[in-house]
Amino acid sequence: MGKQIDLLQGTLDMLILKAVSLGPLHGYGVLLRIQQISGEQLEIQQGSLYPALYRLEHQGWISSEWGESDNNRKAKFYSLTAAGRRQLHSETEKWNRMASLIASILRTTPEQI
Amino acid sequence: MNFLTRFLSWLKWMVKGQRLESEMETEVRFHIDSRAADLVRKGLSQQEAMRQARIEFGGIESHKDAVRASVGVRWWGELGSDMRHGWRLLRKNPGFAAVAILTLALGVGANTAIFSIVNAVLLRPLPFRDSDRLVRIYFNEPGVGLRDIPFSNPEMDDLQTRAGVFEDVTPIFEGSENMTGAKQPERLEAVNGSFSYFSMLGVTPQLGRLFGPQDFVPGFASTAVISDGLWRRAYGADPNVVGRTLMLDTDPFTIIGVLPRGFRHPGPTVSGDVDVFGAGGLTGDPFPPPIRSNRVLGSGIGRLKPGLTLAQAQARLTAMAAELRHDFPTDYPPQAQWTVEIQPLQETLVGNVRPMLLVLLGAVILIVFIVSLNIANLLLARASGRQQEMAVRLALGASRGRMVRQMLTESILLSLIGGAAGILTAVGTLSFILRFMPSNVPRLNEVRIDWVVLAFALLVSILTGLVFGLAPALHSAKVALSSAIREGGRGSGYSTATGRLRDVLIVSELAFAVILMAGAGLLLRTLRDLLQENPGFHPTQVVTANTWLGVPNDPKTDPYLSIPGMANFDREVLRRMKAIPGVEIAAITSSLPTTNSNPDAVGGLRIERFAIEDRTVESSQDLRAERIRISPDYFKVLQATLIRGRSFTEGDEDGKQPVAIVDESTARKFWPTHDPLGRQVRFGRDPAKPWTTVVGIIKDIKSDGLDIDGVPHIYVSTYQDPSKQVNVVLRTSLPAPQLEPQIRREIQSIDPGLPVFNVVSMDDILDRSLASRRFSADLVGGFAGLAVLLASIGIYGLLAYMVSQRSREIGIRMALGAGRGGVLKLFLQKGIVLAGLGIVAGMVVSASTASLMGSLLYGVRPHDPAVFVIVPVLLFAVAVLASYLPARRATKVDPMIALREA
Repeated sequence: MGKQIDLLQGTLDMLILKAVSLGPLHGYGVLLRIQQISGEQLEIQQGSLYPALYRLEHQGWISSEWGESDNNRKAKFYSLTAAGRRQLHSETEKWNRMASLIASILRTTPEQI
Repeated sequence: MNFLTRFLSWLKWMVKGQRLESEMETEVRFHIDSRAADLVRKGLSQQEAMRQARIEFGGIESHKDAVRASVGVRWWGELGSDMRHGWRLLRKNPGFAAVAILTLALGVGANTAIFSIVNAVLLRPLPFRDSDRLVRIYFNEPGVGLRDIPFSNPEMDDLQTRAGVFEDVTPIFEGSENMTGAKQPERLEAVNGSFSYFSMLGVTPQLGRLFGPQDFVPGFASTAVISDGLWRRAYGADPNVVGRTLMLDTDPFTIIGVLPRGFRHPGPTVSGDVDVFGAGGLTGDPFPPPIRSNRVLGSGIGRLKPGLTLAQAQARLTAMAAELRHDFPTDYPPQAQWTVEIQPLQETLVGNVRPMLLVLLGAVILIVFIVSLNIANLLLARASGRQQEMAVRLALGASRGRMVRQMLTESILLSLIGGAAGILTAVGTLSFILRFMPSNVPRLNEVRIDWVVLAFALLVSILTGLVFGLAPALHSAKVALSSAIREGGRGSGYSTATGRLRDVLIVSELAFAVILMAGAGLLLRTLRDLLQENPGFHPTQVVTANTWLGVPNDPKTDPYLSIPGMANFDREVLRRMKAIPGVEIAAITSSLPTTNSNPDAVGGLRIERFAIEDRTVESSQDLRAERIRISPDYFKVLQATLIRGRSFTEGDEDGKQPVAIVDESTARKFWPTHDPLGRQVRFGRDPAKPWTTVVGIIKDIKSDGLDIDGVPHIYVSTYQDPSKQVNVVLRTSLPAPQLEPQIRREIQSIDPGLPVFNVVSMDDILDRSLASRRFSADLVGGFAGLAVLLASIGIYGLLAYMVSQRSREIGIRMALGAGRGGVLKLFLQKGIVLAGLGIVAGMVVSASTASLMGSLLYGVRPHDPAVFVIVPVLLFAVAVLASYLPARRATKVDPMIALREA
């Protein structure tokens, strides 16, 4: 467990959008999907997933629908909306720009200055 | 951010609040169950798996709360709990709640009631189609200082065709009609206009039809439309009334329609309602031929063409008047500067009562201010007691903003309850208030509590809630954590911050009270002055009665057409009146004092043009006076004083030298350097008429109203110049109701078709003429009294609270040797300083705003010294008394007890 990374502030929304962009998921499914694609390296406080989900739905980026889960229980499935897709795209771009910028700053050697 | 999506989502959750909760619950349970199932698969026991899953999920409630916050419904949840908390606090303290809600109900109720009247009379458009395009048309001669003069039929045609600004115009020919055929003849008010009068206003009948082109005749059409009131009164709401015959001034009219219930003629009236409407060209008999100089029409109404502004229409009319002056120089002498003016119809109807209504509205708004300041004070006192609660909340992590919100929610809850009670009060008392409204206020039949009034009441409630809630709310947010908890909320003294706030509240309360008192003082002084005004005669033991000799459309059927015919009628009436036991002297006049102050109404003040024999035509242009026709004993009945010359005699009759009597002001105005006795005047423009000689000068009589000066009067003998309007005045010690049957019997034994109406004492007539002033003075006076009471309660409460808070300090002071006098001085001084500040502030505001009331005052200047001395002295005395009571209690503090308790 020690090797797990705490989630960076503000990145949970992006991860959720990414998770549901691959297909409709219920809340627990979102958690599993994130853990799966992160190779079990991310630590997410499970309860905090829900305020984020409701907030994203409130903003119109994801929509929800009640359906049946694999074990035949009533569950709420979230899927990405068109606005959410645009949001994910722009967030991804922003993140990549930021990450490469930070990386290049950190790579800087004394000689380069 | 897509605002609409978020709003819809918020709305969804607001509406389905319960569903949000259950959905969250289902979702969370599903999550935990699924996680537990996975953990069981990994080898944990069912029980252990559930435990583990719950731990991993974290605090369920706090996550749910975060969900609520994320969709924006948490705020509402908190509001709900604040409301419940506030409600519990009110229930816990029923005394405070009762006082606050009662005073609020009074304040909001008074505001709602007065505003419902203001709304109906001043704000709501007239109940006609596109009423903003309706205008009243005035003909003026500014060159000789005349406004609203009569006009002729050709001038009406000019407006219709030449002006090009009106969709339609109609003359309004107001008249009195004697309705016969019922058990008693009744005098009705009538309006005759063109056949398009109703279609111009956009009225539809409740029965039959209204006038149309088929009703056009040169004189009067023989068709009539009656009001809902007459239909019910005279015909018992008979649904078959259409087609029946109505006898008016002995002419038969066929009823063609009944107006809807709420319809009122949009013009000045005497009795308050016009009952009969006629139509016609107003050019044939009994009207003189339609030439420009025959100015027989009293007023006109028009509907502007759509899209035309008032200013554009006015500019066109001004230009047209100039063209007419140029085209017809003999009809429009240049120095008179004859012109046409239009005013919005609504303005002409309600303009004269606007100042009174606005002053009343101002007074009730001040009252609600004072009420809310008083409640703010009570709440502040309570807030000091709640310091510990606030401190604990702060310590537990509540934000200060959140606490301000909570306090405000509590206040607004209180104000909404008070406001609801106020609306109920207004609904319950409105009909009572309306009964006392002076009858000269138009449109009172339209007053009701509609959604505009309710919105106003709600606004006033919320604003008062904010006013009285803000002070304690801000105060509670400033609570110093540590000291409040340490002191345990006991409050060892009168803290400076709260103290200063409460001082400000008291000072403003007193200032508002001063403004109300000054206003009330000015109105009451005006009323008192008018009551003491010498009317120029002795109204006590005078009874009056009215009758009206009709004007049949065919002059040949008029028994009172000739001067001798009317004079004989007058003589016969007087002979019979004098024969009534208990009547000492009897006389006749064409216009009773103070009843004809409305210049536009039927039988109202009619100022006529006259000439003086030795003046040139040009200098005679501005000679106008009110002609009053009287019988010889008129001045004797009124006990007016003849200064010089003689009164009329029985010999001043038709065929003899016409005679006139003028009053002192008239004599001074027209003969400033000469003796008017023996001079000659002539009414009208007909040079063939004989001159009338002035034979007497009488002391001024307030003929047009106690508060109206400056109208010249010329009295003429009714035997030489009789009037169809016959008003009997009797000097008698008998009351009017007792005389009424005898007066009616005697007059109707001369002519059974004559109505006898308005049998009242002269005292009542004078009283009625002041009804409007009395109403506003009494109401504002009552509000001022209430304001003083509330302000003194405020200052008393403040000092009593200070005394109780500082009893320990007083104990120490007294233990250290302070005398009772010193302690008394300490508190009395506080009260006096606050009262002084409040009074000075109030006086400054009153002095700078008093002139706004100028139009409501008579004989009193807006800065009347007496009012501005008495008001502060009175209020100061009350304030000192209110401070003395708690200050004296301070001196009764027993040092031993005070110290031990503290």
